[in-house]
Amino acid sequence: MNTSFISTPIDTSFMNTSFLLFALLNPAFALLAAPLYMALIRKVKAQAQGRKGPGLFQAYYDLRKLMQKEVIYSPVSSGIMRFTPYLNLAALLVCSLFVPLVFVPEPAGGFGNVIVFLYLLALERFFTALCGLDAGSAFGGMGSSRSMSLAAVIEPTMVVAFAALAFVLKSLNLHEMFALTAGSLLPVSPTLVLVSISLFIILIVETGRLPVDNPATHLELTMINEAMVLEQSGKNLALLELSHALKQLLLMGVLINTILPVGLSTEADAGKIAVSALFFLLKAGALSVVIGLFESSLAKMRLFRLPAFYMMAFFFSALTILIEVFA
Amino acid sequence: MNSLLEALMYGAFAALFSGTVLPLLYRSKNARKASFGLSFISSVLLLGFAGTILYTGKGVLFPAISFLPGLDFTLGADRLSAGFVLLIAAVVPGVSIYSLEYTEHAKSEAGKDLQAALTNLFILAMLLVVLAGNMVVFLIFWEIMSLSSLLLVLHDYSSEENKKAGFFYFVMTNLSTAFLFLGFISLFRLTGSAELGLGSVEPGALTLPFLCLFTGFGIKAGLVPFHKWLPYAHPAAPSGVSALMSGVMLKVAVYGFLRFLLAVPSPELWWGVLVLTVGSLSALFGVIYALKESDIKRLLAYSSIENIGIIFIGIGLYVIFKAEGLPALALMSLTGACFHAFNHALFKSLLFLCAGSVVHATGTRNIEAFGGLVKSMPVTSALFLIGSVSIAALPPANGFAGELLLYQAFFQASALNDPLLTVLLVIALSGFALAGALAAALFVKLFGITCLALPRSEESRLAKEVPKLMLVGAAVPAAFCILAGLFSKQLLSLAGLDVEYPDLLLLGLLLGLIYAALFLAVRAKDKNGKGEGPARISETWGCGAPTLAPSMEYSSAGFSEPLVMILKSIYRTRIVHTPKYLDGQESLFKNGDVEIRLLRFFEEYLYIPPARAIESISKRVARLQNGKLDSYVLYAFLAVIALILATGVLV
Repeated sequence: MNTSFISTPIDTSFMNTSFLLFALLNPAFALLAAPLYMALIRKVKAQAQGRKGPGLFQAYYDLRKLMQKEVIYSPVSSGIMRFTPYLNLAALLVCSLFVPLVFVPEPAGGFGNVIVFLYLLALERFFTALCGLDAGSAFGGMGSSRSMSLAAVIEPTMVVAFAALAFVLKSLNLHEMFALTAGSLLPVSPTLVLVSISLFIILIVETGRLPVDNPATHLELTMINEAMVLEQSGKNLALLELSHALKQLLLMGVLINTILPVGLSTEADAGKIAVSALFFLLKAGALSVVIGLFESSLAKMRLFRLPAFYMMAFFFSALTILIEVFA
Repeated sequence: MNSLLEALMYGAFAALFSGTVLPLLYRSKNARKASFGLSFISSVLLLGFAGTILYTGKGVLFPAISFLPGLDFTLGADRLSAGFVLLIAAVVPGVSIYSLEYTEHAKSEAGKDLQAALTNLFILAMLLVVLAGNMVVFLIFWEIMSLSSLLLVLHDYSSEENKKAGFFYFVMTNLSTAFLFLGFISLFRLTGSAELGLGSVEPGALTLPFLCLFTGFGIKAGLVPFHKWLPYAHPAAPSGVSALMSGVMLKVAVYGFLRFLLAVPSPELWWGVLVLTVGSLSALFGVIYALKESDIKRLLAYSSIENIGIIFIGIGLYVIFKAEGLPALALMSLTGACFHAFNHALFKSLLFLCAGSVVHATGTRNIEAFGGLVKSMPVTSALFLIGSVSIAALPPANGFAGELLLYQAFFQASALNDPLLTVLLVIALSGFALAGALAAALFVKLFGITCLALPRSEESRLAKEVPKLMLVGAAVPAAFCILAGLFSKQLLSLAGLDVEYPDLLLLGLLLGLIYAALFLAVRAKDKNGKGEGPARISETWGCGAPTLAPSMEYSSAGFSEPLVMILKSIYRTRIVHTPKYLDGQESLFKNGDVEIRLLRFFEEYLYIPPARAIESISKRVARLQNGKLDSYVLYAFLAVIALILATGVLV
C-alpha cells in the first residue's frame, strides 16, 4: 500500500492508433446518443404519470427545429451570450474524450485525468452562469446565483466521490480506471456500489433533475438551469441543450462503467466496439428508466433543504474511503 | 556564466535604486516616467537572471561585503530564490506600465513623486529579501519592505479609513517581525551561525523556531486568524501597489517560510498537520468572507487570503508526505504550492489592476454601483474575464495548473501508511474543493455584476475606457496568465520539475479547434440554409414592465444570498431588535429598529481582548513615570543589577 500510483509511467504521446480511433469514435457516439436519453427520461416520466409522452426521437426534432430558428439577442447582452454556447459544447466534446463509452483506449496525452474532467464541467457551469447574468433579467440572475451556490455545495462531494474512485481503482485517470473494470459482470470491488450511490446523486444534481431542479418547469420558484438559458434562443439554445444532454450522458457513462462495466471492451476491434456501443446503449436506457422513475417518485425539495441531500452523497463517498483505508 | 548573472543582478539593483532616487531628486513628470521605466527594465533583467538559474539549476553566490565584525553582507540565489525572483519579475512589468499612467492621477505632486520612488524601493526590498544570504540581511530588507509598503498604504493619509488601515498594518507587520526575530534568534542559538541553512540540528530542537517562524511568516502572508490587516491595507494602497502587495509581498513571506522548511532535513509530521489545517481554514474563511464583501478591492484582498491558504495547503501536504517517506508526492505538493504562488501573483495582480481601472473610471469601489461595463470598457472587461477565469481555476488558464497538482497529490492520499492521516487529508480535500467552488461562484458574481447587464448607477453609465497605458499594463499579466496555463507542463519541465502532469497545451488547442469547427459548421449552415442573415435584437422580457430597469437586475448581495443562508452559522450575523413601546408594560408597540450586522468574529474575540489587556497594563506601568530624575536613576540602577544577576544565572 506504501506506493503512490504516480510512478507508473504513462505514455505521453497521443499518437497511438487505439487512442486516435477512440478520439474519433467516442465523441461522435456520445454526441449522437445524448439527445436520445433526454427524450427517454421524459417518456418514462410521462408514462409514470399516465400520459403518453413524446416519441423517442423528439429531442432530435427539437434540436433540428431550434437549429433552423433565428437567434434573438437582448440589446443588454454582450459577447458572453454569443460565444458561450460554442465554448460549452467544445468543452463537453473534449470531456467526451475522458469517459470511455465505446471502448477503453490506451491512455495517452493526459486525457482521462479525473481532475481535468471535473474542471471542464466547472468551465461549462461558469460560463452558463455568466450567460444568466448577461441579459440583465432577474430570472437569469436568480438561476445563476442558485446554480453556482448549489454547485459550490456539491463540489466537495463530487471531488470526494472521484477521490474514492481513485482510491479504489488506484489511478487518477478515468481510462486506466475503466480499463481495470472493463468487461467484468459485477463491480470489481464491493465498495464501488457505495461510490455509485454518490455518483447517482451527483448525476441528478449536475443535470438539474428532481428533487434538485425541475427540468420541465418554467415557474420561477422552481427553476435553476432553465432560468439561466431563458434568454437563449435558436441555434444558441440548441447548442446549450446539446451540451446539457452530453453532460448527462457522460456522467451516466461514469456511473455505468463503475457499477455495471459488463460488455465494455478494451480492444480497438470493430466487432468489439460495436458490442460495447450496443451494451452501452442498453445500459444507459436502463439507467434512464431508473432516473425517470426516481424523478416521478419525488417532489422538488426546498432550496435550503438540498445541502442535507448532498450530505447523503458525501456520506457514501466518505464511507467508501473509510472502508478502503481501514480494511 | 556567473559574471553574466552578476551583471544582470547588479543591473537590476542599479535600475531599481536609481528608480528610487530619481523622482526624489528631480521632482518632475519625466523623472517619474523614467522611474517606472527603470523598474520595467529591472524586471526584464531579473527575468533573464531567474530564468538562467532555473534552467541550469545552478545557484550563484555574490561576493560578500563585510560590514560588521563576524558578519557579512551576503547575497545569493539558488533555485528556490530564483523561482521567487521570477515571480517578482513576472508581476513588475505590468505594474510599472500601469503605474506610468495611474500615478499621474494622484492628488498632489509630492504624492506622485513619492509613489514612484517608494514603489521602486518596495520592489528592490522584496528582491533583496529573496536574495538575502543570511538572517541579518533578510531582516534588514524585510523591514525596508514593510516600511516602504506602509508608506504606500498611507499615501492618502488624510482619509480616516487609510489612517486606520495604515495603523493596523503597522501593528501587524511589526508583530510579524517580532516573531521572526524570536525565531531567528532561537535558530542562531542552535546553529551558532547567522546562515539561513541549518546544518545538522536534531529536529526535536526545532519546535520553537518552527512555531515562531510559522507565526511570523503567517501574519505577513495573511493566514487566518492573523489575516485582518490584509482587507484593510490592500484596498487602501494605490492599485499598482495593491497588485504588488497581494501578488508579491505575500509570496515573499511564503518564500521565507519555505526557505526555513526546506533547510530542515526531516520535518516532523505534526508541523505538516498544523500547516495543512491552518491553510485549509484560511482558504475557506478567505473565500467565505469575500462572498459577503461588496467593496471590489477588499473582496480581492479576501480572495488573496484564500489563495495563500491554498499555497499553505500545498506546503502542509509537502511536509506530511515528506515525513511519511513519500518523496514523489512531496515534490508534487511542493511544486503545486510554488506554482500556485507564481500563478496567483499573475492573476491577482491582473485583477487588482483591472479593479483599479474600474474604480478609476467609476469613482467608487462599491460593486453594487457597477454593471454594464462590458459596453463602456470592453478591453478592461475582457482582461477582467481572463483574470476571473484564471482565479476560478478553469482549464486551461493558469489558476487551474497549480491546483491540479495539489488535487493529484490529495487523490493519492491512500499511499499514506497511517489511516487517520488519510482521513485527515480527505477532510482537507473536501475543504479545498469547497473553497475552489466558492471561488468560482465568487468570480461569477464579481465579473457578472461588474461588467454584464445594465449599469446600476450614473457613474457606471458614464464610465469611459481607461487610457491606453493602463490597458497595456493590465494586458501583460493577462497574457502571462494564459501562457503560464497553456505551457504549464513545459514550464515545469524547463524548471527541472518532472512531475506527472497532463499537457494543458494539448487541451487548450483541442478546445480552440473544436470551438472553431463548431462555429464554422453552424455559420456555414447559415448561408446556404434559409439565409436569415444576422441575429435579431430584441428587448429582454421584463415580466410585462415596459422597459428593463437596472433596479430589476440581480444585485451582488442577492447573488450570494443562497450561499450566505447556507453558511449562516459561519457568518454569525447578529440580529438586533430595539423595539419602542407606547406604555411601560411593553404591550403597545410604537416603532423600533432592527439591525442585521455581520459579527466581526476575529476582531471582537481575538484582537480586541489582548489590545485591552495591553492598554490596562500600560496604564499601570505609566505610573512609574513620575517625572523625578532620582527615581529614574534608581530604575536604571535596579535594571543593571537585574541584568547582571540574570546573566550570572543564565550563563
